[in-house]
Amino acid sequence: MHIAPGFLSPPVWATMAAVSGATVAASLALARRRVGERQVPLMGVMGAFIFAAQMVNFPVLPGTSGHLGGGFLLGILLGAPVSVIVMASILMVQALVFQDGGVEALGANIFVMGVVPSLLGAAVRRLWLRPKQGIVTYAVTFFGGVVAVLIGATGVILMLFLSQSLPGSVSLLQAITVMDVIHLGIGAVEGAVTVAVVKFVLATRREAILSPAGPAGEKELA
Amino acid sequence: MSPYNKKTLLVGVAIAVIIGGGVSYFASRSPDGLEKTQADLGVTQPPHEGVAAPALVFHEYGLKWLGEGFWSNAIAGVAGVLLVLGLLLGLGRWMKAGKSGRDADAPASRQP
Repeated sequence: MHIAPGFLSPPVWATMAAVSGATVAASLALARRRVGERQVPLMGVMGAFIFAAQMVNFPVLPGTSGHLGGGFLLGILLGAPVSVIVMASILMVQALVFQDGGVEALGANIFVMGVVPSLLGAAVRRLWLRPKQGIVTYAVTFFGGVVAVLIGATGVILMLFLSQSLPGSVSLLQAITVMDVIHLGIGAVEGAVTVAVVKFVLATRREAILSPAGPAGEKELA
Repeated sequence: MSPYNKKTLLVGVAIAVIIGGGVSYFASRSPDGLEKTQADLGVTQPPHEGVAAPALVFHEYGLKWLGEGFWSNAIAGVAGVLLVLGLLLGLGRWMKAGKSGRDADAPASRQP
């Protein structure tokens, strides 16, 4: 879903760069007061894992593919501020070192693949912090993953529309439909992988997940 | 570093390296969802002036002198994994420094 160079108009990419820049700055300020000894390695390896997972494109419909976003997963595991920072770091490395996504579109890409899914993931996070999880947690997480991808996909089309990068013969609604049908399949994988990975990390590194929630989470540990 | 953190790092990095350096070679080469949408809608050329980063060492996810083989992809994948890891561990040190000054007197949950 990385927006390639040259598809956003200067007003659109500049606005998105300002919005994402401000969000990343605020996230850094918030995370600096929250992150403890055990979150740092988890944050590092989760970033490395999402970078790697994003290299694995899987087939969706005939002739197209998708890959994990990961922001929703990180929002659940690490909370919104840390998740935004990790996603922004990944997208920056992808754009600057691997030419994946336009450099001028970095802010837009951080917004749709970092900020939006991180906030949604953080909203689902409290379900996973309860002592036990059941079918409700899994279902909400799965569909949350689908919704996160669809909002991102729709956001990309809106930005292309505002940049006048869609052909005049196509209506906005048509473009969103084409984009979202493909991303429905990608979102289903996102949702399923998110449930599986959160379950795995929760089973093996529960303490590291709890702590960023603050003193309440740490008390639960003791 | 505590054994807890060491294990987190070793296991996590091993998983990331296997996926990024190995599994990713077998990924689908079809255009991604956005590229496919743009192609279906008839958008082929970027209408604005864009900025692509120069391919200094890597050409997309491959070493630029090594073409598209397994090892080219593996080197790019492992390099990317380590770059992201290094960047985040660096940021993490800075964040932890901000926290330790504030509640250094509450280390109860810090030690295993």
